[in-house]
Amino acid sequence: MKKLILSLILGAVLFTMGCKENQDRLVLLPVADDPTVSFKVVFNVGSQNDPAGKEGLAALTATLIAEGSTKKHTYEEVLALLYPMAADVSEQVDKEMTVFSGRTHKDNLDAFYGLLKEVVLEPAFAEVDFVRVKNDFQNYVRTTLRYSQDEELGKEALYEFIFAETPYEHNEEGYVKSLQAITVEDVREFYKKHYTRENVVVGLGGGFERPLADRAWKDFDTLPAGDASPVPAPVPGKIEGIQVKIIEKDVQSTAISFGFPIGVTRGSRDFYALAIATSWLGQHRTSFAHLYQVIREARGLNYGDYAYIEHFPMSHGASFPPPNVARRQPIFQVWLRPVPNETRVFAFRAALRELRDLVENGMTAEEFELTRKFLKGYTLHYAPTTMMKLGYAIDDRFYGIEEGHWLRFSRMLDELTREEVNAALRKHFNYENLKAVFITPDAEGLKSALVNNAPSPITYASEKPTEVIEEDKEISIYPIVVKPENVTIVKADEVFEG
Amino acid sequence: MRLLLLPLLLLFFGAPVTARAQGERFFPYDYENLTLENGFKSILVPMKGSGLVAYYTVVRTGSRDEYEPGKTGFAHFFEHMMFRGTKKYPASAYNRLVSEMGAEANAFTGDDLTGYYMVIPSEKLETAMDLESDRFQNLTYEEAPFRTEAGAVYGEYRKNLASPFRLAYETLLKTAFDKHTYKHTTMGFEEDIKRMPELYEFSKSFFDRYYRPENCVLLIVGDFEPAAVKPMLEKYYGGWKPGYVAPTITPEPPQTAERQVDVTYTGRTLPLVWIAYKGGAFDPTDKSVVSAYLLGDLAFGENSELYKKLAIREQKVESINGDFGFSRDQKLYGITARVKDEGDIPYVIGEIDKTAEKFAGELVSRDDLENIKKRSRYGYLMSLDTPERVGSRLARTVALTGGIEAVDQLYATMAAVTVQDIQAAARRYLQKERRTVLVLKGAKS
Repeated sequence: MKKLILSLILGAVLFTMGCKENQDRLVLLPVADDPTVSFKVVFNVGSQNDPAGKEGLAALTATLIAEGSTKKHTYEEVLALLYPMAADVSEQVDKEMTVFSGRTHKDNLDAFYGLLKEVVLEPAFAEVDFVRVKNDFQNYVRTTLRYSQDEELGKEALYEFIFAETPYEHNEEGYVKSLQAITVEDVREFYKKHYTRENVVVGLGGGFERPLADRAWKDFDTLPAGDASPVPAPVPGKIEGIQVKIIEKDVQSTAISFGFPIGVTRGSRDFYALAIATSWLGQHRTSFAHLYQVIREARGLNYGDYAYIEHFPMSHGASFPPPNVARRQPIFQVWLRPVPNETRVFAFRAALRELRDLVENGMTAEEFELTRKFLKGYTLHYAPTTMMKLGYAIDDRFYGIEEGHWLRFSRMLDELTREEVNAALRKHFNYENLKAVFITPDAEGLKSALVNNAPSPITYASEKPTEVIEEDKEISIYPIVVKPENVTIVKADEVFEG
Repeated sequence: MRLLLLPLLLLFFGAPVTARAQGERFFPYDYENLTLENGFKSILVPMKGSGLVAYYTVVRTGSRDEYEPGKTGFAHFFEHMMFRGTKKYPASAYNRLVSEMGAEANAFTGDDLTGYYMVIPSEKLETAMDLESDRFQNLTYEEAPFRTEAGAVYGEYRKNLASPFRLAYETLLKTAFDKHTYKHTTMGFEEDIKRMPELYEFSKSFFDRYYRPENCVLLIVGDFEPAAVKPMLEKYYGGWKPGYVAPTITPEPPQTAERQVDVTYTGRTLPLVWIAYKGGAFDPTDKSVVSAYLLGDLAFGENSELYKKLAIREQKVESINGDFGFSRDQKLYGITARVKDEGDIPYVIGEIDKTAEKFAGELVSRDDLENIKKRSRYGYLMSLDTPERVGSRLARTVALTGGIEAVDQLYATMAAVTVQDIQAAARRYLQKERRTVLVLKGAKS
């Protein structure tokens, strides 16, 4: 019974239809009394498929589909039809996946499904829509990403830094120059090449009836055949020492991200071992996170300090990551939310030191047990809705996890030992060879402090316990080995220029 | 002992209100209201099958209640301090128990509320109630951690600094309000946030006045048995001493002339036009307020003629929208537009003016009105799919009215809104002398 309840919560009651020809790419998650129906149409294409010089093309294509005219309706008409249903067709593009999602009340099921199908299968790629969407993309990169979202900028810059000269390098939205080069013909060609029968997965969840699923598959099976031609998994360059990119900006506080590739993906035993350790070190948006305790709770330096082994886009505004950002080459990363500029080196040292302690010493028995207990409950919150469960079910196909990720996670929490977790830490994590991004003013001052390994003592406006003061002395001289040639300084206006 | 409990419960609990028993209602779940003798109200909303419970404590105090000069931002600050522990459960013990439950636990603050929530496996409900009831009654903290937390609060303020919307909103409120506490954002004035570490004694007074049973409402939503919960409420909350002291909030005098303000953002941004009219205080039975809520989207939302003209056809703006939301006192009905070219700012403002005049002068089509009513109803119903989301939606309603009956009242009022009501709302609220016009530009073009 307990397992059944767990299965319900984790969304494992799903099945893929393998009984009919080609229906192995249909993912169904029926929920009998759900008054709504959730749809996902996923294509195995993403920014890794962008041609050189046309970075941003995959995302631009998907957005133009979701926010453009169809062959039957102008975009204005599509909006007007969706409006009374309180529904929309949203798109999400990551390195390897493009997903269109929509949810409707059953009252409007036929009308909504008809529109969803039309939007994805019959896009007009009208010039007037293309100009609008392309302009939005350019504004996003030039203004929003560079100036008004330092936290997101740092993380995107870190991916670019780690995956230099691989198909994962560029930001999904592309570069200022590459966006300029994209034409509506490029979009049409991209759609023709990648939006094929071989690349599509269709998901339905909630209160639908079987005939709709059959109809959906039949409809999307009309996509043209094509060559799936998968892009090889990226092979990031070896990182030697601590390499730093400083994005110089006139800001009052410094956002810091650092990390390295781990080559361990969801589904493998080591992945779950690392997930346990990373949760303890930096569970996103929780006071459970150890980094949070050290940097925010004990010292009040910022709003939060977290660690990840999977991609979490737009994490500044969400408690849990979205599904369908599956990647074959994930990274470990630490994200320090903005700290006062004068404490930037101290905070970096504090985080590195905690990482060192974790890698060198492993988790203690107490930490391991507490984290297991925490995750047993906390993993129930990742996919509360049918739409989220459907997304994870589609990810399970990507990673080849037949039992389902969340059920496997739960099982791994029972099976994994502390020794396995600590062995995985030593095998996959390190604290000496990594890349870091700072968004900060006075880049030369930061470079000098880093390459000279200058002590970074800290003072506080309030009294601190003796143990904090004593630990600060160690943190402030924690050795950072950064060679001058491993520090790159760029201006904010130069980032993602292309 | 059990025999004694029943008459006590009858004494302390009001008669249950079961929504479905009272005829056709919009809110789709049954619920019960229970009020203890000390004034503490609980709303129980069972939702079977998820295995989870959302536990929301709504303090009907937000930044609106920060009326003392130099002390803004304390409602939000308390969102932080409430995790600092009690004698029974010091912060480390509290964190440990919350972690062991695997709870999703967090808090949020707005103009009219501070909300604390936990989403937990159903079997942990009593543990959650033990923890939550304890900290609301017995929070204790020393001055040193208080000062440290002030640093984290300033860090939260700093992380938002890069946003041009943050700068615009702060300036808009400062300009639009003279007397009312809506003049400051929920974060508070920056100078007050900097001074927070010096206000330890004030913080205790803030807690003492506002964190009282008459000013708090508990929402329990999800997979639980109400019969099992009722005795727990008395056990854990029955001893909470009343003593709420209402804030002294100066009403905003009527605005008599248009206000304008220009803002420069230090970085690069699209220009932002923000036109905000003085709105109405929330009352779910007030047709004028409910009509205005619909008017905002009808006139300036993504299906409006103005959006289609400026964003899709002419492409003068990246986005435009109208947010005529609800607040406990009269706040602002805002229209925001991100303009692509600085030279088009006067044109965009002119088009917004023409739209306001059109809605005041002409009747909207009945189809358009019916469509937005449908959208509102479907949108609300579809958002009620998990205990956490139901709790989150209801928490806002509780903050405004003290209960959730307003959901049904609001949608009943909405059903009765006519095209004439929409016109009347436009005439009443979209007057230039009621508004503030903010224009933000980037220092770098």
